[in-house]
Amino acid sequence: MKRIRSDLSLVFIFAFFVLFSTGFSDLVVSKLDRQIDLSSPVVRTTISLKIENNGANSVSEILLPFPEHQAKNFAFLSAKISEGKGKTKDSSDSIPVAIATPEGMPPAMTWYSVSLPKELVKGGSLTLEVKAVFTNILRPFPEKVTQADVQLVAFQESAHFLSPYRVKFQSLAIKLPEPKIESYTKLENTKFSGSELKYGPYENLPPFSYSTVVVHYAINKPFAVAQELVREIEISHWGNVQITEHYNLVHAGAELTGEFSRLDYQARPHVRGASALRNLVAKLPARAHSIYYRDEIGNISTSNVWSDSAKTLLEIEPRYPMFGGWKTAFTIGYGLPLRDFLFQSEGKRFLNITFGCPMSDVVIENLTVKVVLPEGSKEFTASVPFPVKQSQEIKFSHLDIIGRPVIVLEKTNAVPEHNQHFQVYYKFSNLSLLSEPSMLIFGFFLFFVACVVYTHADFTISKTSPSYLAKLQWDEVQTTIQQFLNIMNRCLILHDKLEASLRDLSRTGDVQACKAARKSADSLLKELPKELKPLLSFLQSSPQAVQITPKVEELITKERELQEKLMLKHSTVVEAFEKKSGARDIDSRVAAVQQKITLLRQEVDDLLKVIDEI
Amino acid sequence: MAQSAKPISSPVPDVWYPTLAVFMLVIGLVITASFFIYEATSSKKNRSLAKELITGAVASVFLGFGSLFLLLSSGIYV
Repeated sequence: MKRIRSDLSLVFIFAFFVLFSTGFSDLVVSKLDRQIDLSSPVVRTTISLKIENNGANSVSEILLPFPEHQAKNFAFLSAKISEGKGKTKDSSDSIPVAIATPEGMPPAMTWYSVSLPKELVKGGSLTLEVKAVFTNILRPFPEKVTQADVQLVAFQESAHFLSPYRVKFQSLAIKLPEPKIESYTKLENTKFSGSELKYGPYENLPPFSYSTVVVHYAINKPFAVAQELVREIEISHWGNVQITEHYNLVHAGAELTGEFSRLDYQARPHVRGASALRNLVAKLPARAHSIYYRDEIGNISTSNVWSDSAKTLLEIEPRYPMFGGWKTAFTIGYGLPLRDFLFQSEGKRFLNITFGCPMSDVVIENLTVKVVLPEGSKEFTASVPFPVKQSQEIKFSHLDIIGRPVIVLEKTNAVPEHNQHFQVYYKFSNLSLLSEPSMLIFGFFLFFVACVVYTHADFTISKTSPSYLAKLQWDEVQTTIQQFLNIMNRCLILHDKLEASLRDLSRTGDVQACKAARKSADSLLKELPKELKPLLSFLQSSPQAVQITPKVEELITKERELQEKLMLKHSTVVEAFEKKSGARDIDSRVAAVQQKITLLRQEVDDLLKVIDEI
Repeated sequence: MAQSAKPISSPVPDVWYPTLAVFMLVIGLVITASFFIYEATSSKKNRSLAKELITGAVASVFLGFGSLFLLLSSGIYV
């Protein structure tokens, strides 16, 4: 115990408060309660001060000094003024606390100044609630333990609150994790009961009273410290907020010495490895989806998820139980629905999400929060409720051209108290949302254009070779045949129309309409031979078309025949209708023609098929 | 947080993404097929450039949105 070196600077403080007598004497702390919670590796102190102003002047700020060894381990400090008395205490919002350097003060202390929202007038009093959170303040003692040993830590504090004001009445309560205590400094009015250690009450202490107490106790809890945590929050306006967290975790408790026996650990995990880090529970927001937990090797299967309407709990286990000094690195990631975190107000969009790590009781030495905004965001600002270091960078991700703006927020020594909401404001036009699909569309379109160019281009090297010339001729023959087939098809469609007009006639008896249809068909059909002529003459002259030409010629004659028969049928039927013959009579008259038409049509269709296949 | 803040959600509900991806890709691929059939069957001189480009453009719109929704539905939020 004697090896625990108490800060030399304290000596100066003692020396100083003797010299220092006036200045702050106007304010008096009439009642001071301190509670220190040592049940977790993060030390939380709540101080409740009842301050009275006995001087003549009004006071607008209250100074709180902390000794250097505490101040450098500060993680979080907040002050509130609670009004009213008894159980109906009404706490106001936290009031600003800033580092102050009052003149003529010893350098061994760090001063914080609490600015009061309204001045404390002469004779007035108020109750100030100060919450301070420290990290790395518990020193493992001994520094190295074996697997079977209990982890012991030492904690050093002053039994008297270090105050620049006179304290009339004060007490200190220290809460321990277990009712096991190795040793503690015994002063007057010291009481240890259960798992609570009480110092005080002490009355009428002058300013800067200091009385070191050291508590040496057992804490079988893992000291989970993330040396590095990078949280990346990526916003996609297509409906997702993707969060990726890279952890670099270390067990910062008493280091394991000697060998690790897995057998002992498995057999009696709570004795052989009491302070080992077994699992961590991350409290993720509700409706988190696509959760993963992996490291460099790949997926880590020892994880579990529970969810309800208010939260999603993710329990993760490292690949091995972590003992003191052991390290691990892993990544967790999850997606969140956009509408829960992204809002719009006054023409600006803002993201409203928690800052810190979702795991309770993990201390983060270096926390980096990166907010990746969508491509095309402008005028972005971040508003964080505590001081952080801000910078910007550019990230390239899927389908980016100019890259996405990233706001980087850095914080050292982050504790669960920093898990507060922060906002990132930015401007974004909905049209920018279409940039990704338009890029994809453009890409596909380029592909089609390339295909068009490829099929149109002529890549032949020797333009005079016989095979190339033959191919050109053959292409021309093909073109002609396609044109020919087009004309034939049009012709057949006209035939069908004529047939249809006959059917209409038998149904409605409208002779005039039928005649008109006949007339238009006649004029169109007359045009077709003119179009056919050049094609046919080309085919007859082309040596490549020797095989097809007879078929084409046959098709033309057959079609002409078909056309004639059809006209004959048409005129017969129309005539018969004009003479008002009976339906049966017409049928018998047309029967012979109709048979031929069907036969010819069949032949024409067959020929068309044959030519088409060439 | 301001009182007037309105939550922002995606322009298309996320549950539609898989369906949209399938349908748009199918339509896009059918049009692509018709484009290539046209390229392969019609002879060089009979081909109309406008028809080729229009078919290509329509196919690329469907394939573009289809592949976007495919990315989104598979969890790659662009």
